[in-house]
Amino acid sequence: MAKIGVFICHCGENIGAKVDCTKLAAAMGEHPGVAVSVEYKYFCSDPGQESVKRAIRDNNLTGVVVAACSPRMHEATFRKACAEAGLNPYLCEIANIREQCSWVHTDNDQATEKAMDITRSMVEKVKRNNKLQPIEVPVTRRALVIGGGIAGIQAALDIANAGQDVVLVEREPSLGGHMAQLSETFPTLDCSQCIMTPRMVEAAQHPKIRLLTYAEIESVDGYIGNFSVRVRMKSRYVDINKCTGCGDCITKCPAKKISSEFDCGLGKRTAIYTPFAQSVPNIPVIDHANCIYFKNGKCKICSKTCQCDAIDFDMQDTFEDIEVGAIVVATGFQVQNNTMYGEYGYGKYPDVINGLQFERLASASGPTAGKILRPSDGVEPQTVVFIQCAGSRDPSKGVRYCSKICCMYTAKHAMLYAHKVHGGKTHIFYMDIRAAGKGYDEFSRRAIEEDEAAYLRGRVSKVWEENGKLMVRGVDTLLGRPVEIAADMVVLATAIIAQPDAKEFAKTIGIGYDEYGFYNEAHLKLRPVESSTAGVFLAGACQSPKDIPDSVAQASATASKVLALFSKDMLEREPVVATNNEATCAGCWGCVLACPYNAIEQKDILDRSGRIIKRVASVNPGLCQGCGTCVTFCRSNSLDLAGFTERQIFAEVMGL
Amino acid sequence: MSIEEQYRTRAKELLSGGAVKMVIGYGKGSNAKRRRPIFISSADEVDRLVLDDACITNLSGYLVSEGLLSDEKRVAVFLRPEGIRAINILAAESQLDAEQIVIFGFDVAGNEIKALKGINVEEFSDVIDSIKEGAPEAAEEELFEKIEKMSPQERFSFWQEEFAKCIKCYACRQACPMCYCRRCIVDSNQPQWVNTSSHTLGNFEWNIVRAFHLSGRCVECGNCDRACPVNIPLRLINHRMAEEVLGAFDHFAGTSKTQEPVLASFKKDDSETFIL
Repeated sequence: MAKIGVFICHCGENIGAKVDCTKLAAAMGEHPGVAVSVEYKYFCSDPGQESVKRAIRDNNLTGVVVAACSPRMHEATFRKACAEAGLNPYLCEIANIREQCSWVHTDNDQATEKAMDITRSMVEKVKRNNKLQPIEVPVTRRALVIGGGIAGIQAALDIANAGQDVVLVEREPSLGGHMAQLSETFPTLDCSQCIMTPRMVEAAQHPKIRLLTYAEIESVDGYIGNFSVRVRMKSRYVDINKCTGCGDCITKCPAKKISSEFDCGLGKRTAIYTPFAQSVPNIPVIDHANCIYFKNGKCKICSKTCQCDAIDFDMQDTFEDIEVGAIVVATGFQVQNNTMYGEYGYGKYPDVINGLQFERLASASGPTAGKILRPSDGVEPQTVVFIQCAGSRDPSKGVRYCSKICCMYTAKHAMLYAHKVHGGKTHIFYMDIRAAGKGYDEFSRRAIEEDEAAYLRGRVSKVWEENGKLMVRGVDTLLGRPVEIAADMVVLATAIIAQPDAKEFAKTIGIGYDEYGFYNEAHLKLRPVESSTAGVFLAGACQSPKDIPDSVAQASATASKVLALFSKDMLEREPVVATNNEATCAGCWGCVLACPYNAIEQKDILDRSGRIIKRVASVNPGLCQGCGTCVTFCRSNSLDLAGFTERQIFAEVMGL
Repeated sequence: MSIEEQYRTRAKELLSGGAVKMVIGYGKGSNAKRRRPIFISSADEVDRLVLDDACITNLSGYLVSEGLLSDEKRVAVFLRPEGIRAINILAAESQLDAEQIVIFGFDVAGNEIKALKGINVEEFSDVIDSIKEGAPEAAEEELFEKIEKMSPQERFSFWQEEFAKCIKCYACRQACPMCYCRRCIVDSNQPQWVNTSSHTLGNFEWNIVRAFHLSGRCVECGNCDRACPVNIPLRLINHRMAEEVLGAFDHFAGTSKTQEPVLASFKKDDSETFIL
């Protein structure tokens, strides 16, 4: 005999002002099977929860319905309270009479009627609820960090320094990411390489970190605590165990005129190469598309030069399956291609460059060894125009959002230029100067006041070439007049965009992304480093445009989340999993395909002599996430979901 | 030699050589216009096989009779192109092993019988592709258009009238080669989702559930339509569902024996018009 307790919460005025809770309590008290029906101002409060517990004990309740806010809010709270009173937590259900009733209706009488329907429906469901026990699953104490930029390196080091194993996967031949390309960093002007490269080395040499460069994630299966990841090791054509990194092959390679990705096309590299001199690991790769041997079948000079016999032209991609318990996604960003602004002449005039290219010019490791020289003729520019928001905050051609770092790096560029080219003139077209951050506003003021950066508030309409000069026509909106500047070089503060394959990759690992391809956090304010998939965390600019301090802070935050996950031996999982009725299963195996978690397997039912009688589907409760997709697909209704069984749902519908 | 004779000869060879254990074909019916399925396991009986323009029933459903294929021996079956598509679906849904099926393919154009070349289901892919491209018969087309032109209210009352006739005999289910579940959802009574009594609501529930279960699977063989004792034009519902999945997912049922079921699979470029 069911003895259900109904607890109706006013939620202050939230429910109480629209729903007549007294009437609702009285009506529910009349409903068959209901032993207790009471109302209270705040059931989620301590005295509220105590009264629920007392009612369970005093009346030997067999089920509880809390008519209150969304189960997303307090289902866990009340289930815990029930467990404390000795009632199986899965015998407690929430009737949502706030979000689905009081908040969305204006008429009190009708809202009360609807609240009765909702609550009655849950009473009917809970009568058919079963006691469920949580499923315990072991945790693999190894983390996967995807992306070897500053965020990935920081996360890997923090996790490894706490004593846990880390696999750090980077798809480029070297660690470093975008930070390795930068010259000096705002707001302190310390050299990016000087602070970055020691961290790269530390990560590579750490006994707890396994570094896989030139490797990509092929697939991710499993769930929190138990992911199974397949990594593709792209063929370097150089044996990483034999190579000593002497660099002789690079010196001798005859294919020398390949545009360097690391130098953003401003420098050249060979076909066998390391992206930059301080690469980690210091092992070259052969660029298959540009290698003379792969193109013509003749050359192999690198192989002849190598004294360690490390070159292997027959090398193939290999795959490795890695078991991990948590994943940190730190896949970074790209800069937008500015050719969509035909009026700025990017791609047409060689001296119109983007901010990242300017970084390479200013960097001591760059193609000009740190001298600011024009790409067209190698002459030192005397006047440089910077155009901010070249792509950002431009819904018509670029992206709607602010790329966050451009105001600061443009101020930095103006400073670096002033320090390197004495007497040079800088003009910066800007929309707003956004310099929020520790030491940031002081930094941009310094660019204006000490390094004489001339800020012009306004947009540029056109850049064209005239008498060897780049003519920049814009407007100074503060003076209210058009401006024309004859410049030697123009630098565009290009928008940060998501990696071009960000959306595809999100589907591979099963996380959400926004319209631009930046990865979605579980909650913008309260869970900013967690993805919506349990056990997958986000660090750095793959989530949104970020500067170095923010990326590093977020990376350390993900490390703390990973370590918290690794602090337990076993994880408790909700027992809301599917089961299959093998007697009625038709064996069509549509569910096997439909299951997004690969949790359903094919199972043979054998007779005593081992002959197959029937083949059916079988759900692995460790893998099942309880989404119910298989249940909706199954034509013979053989699959059912614990906690949401057909009988429960049917009773719920009929209770309405 | 007529196709009927050729197929009788082939059936005889296969049975006497032991290449197949049974031939499922058509035999004489109760009158000149009717053919009934016959199951021949002896070479002496092949003369009972008939092949003419009255052979319209899709015989593929008999292949999934319990135990028929479990000895892994081969079975031959007379099939029109729709039946061949049904073999692909049954194979894709793991109900049979396509290797076990020897196909006697044929098609009817007017009163002409045409033999379709091939034995294994893979050999008929050209035939299947040509149906995908082809248009339905003129008379059918007219009826489809008539229904399409109705307003939703008119269409609803059209079906209400049709379904009012349903006596829940489940002849459609028995005739359909795709209805192979050992326990149909209507036979499940814990809970009883579909009303068993033949009133309008229960009839609607049954026929709509069946249409959904056949979407992306129905080959439009017409078995259900012909089996219905109260002449509900069931093929119209199934045709509409077939058009929906073709338009939305470019899915044509039964093109290959490894085709993934449209409702259980997805492609990354599927249109997401239903997601707001």
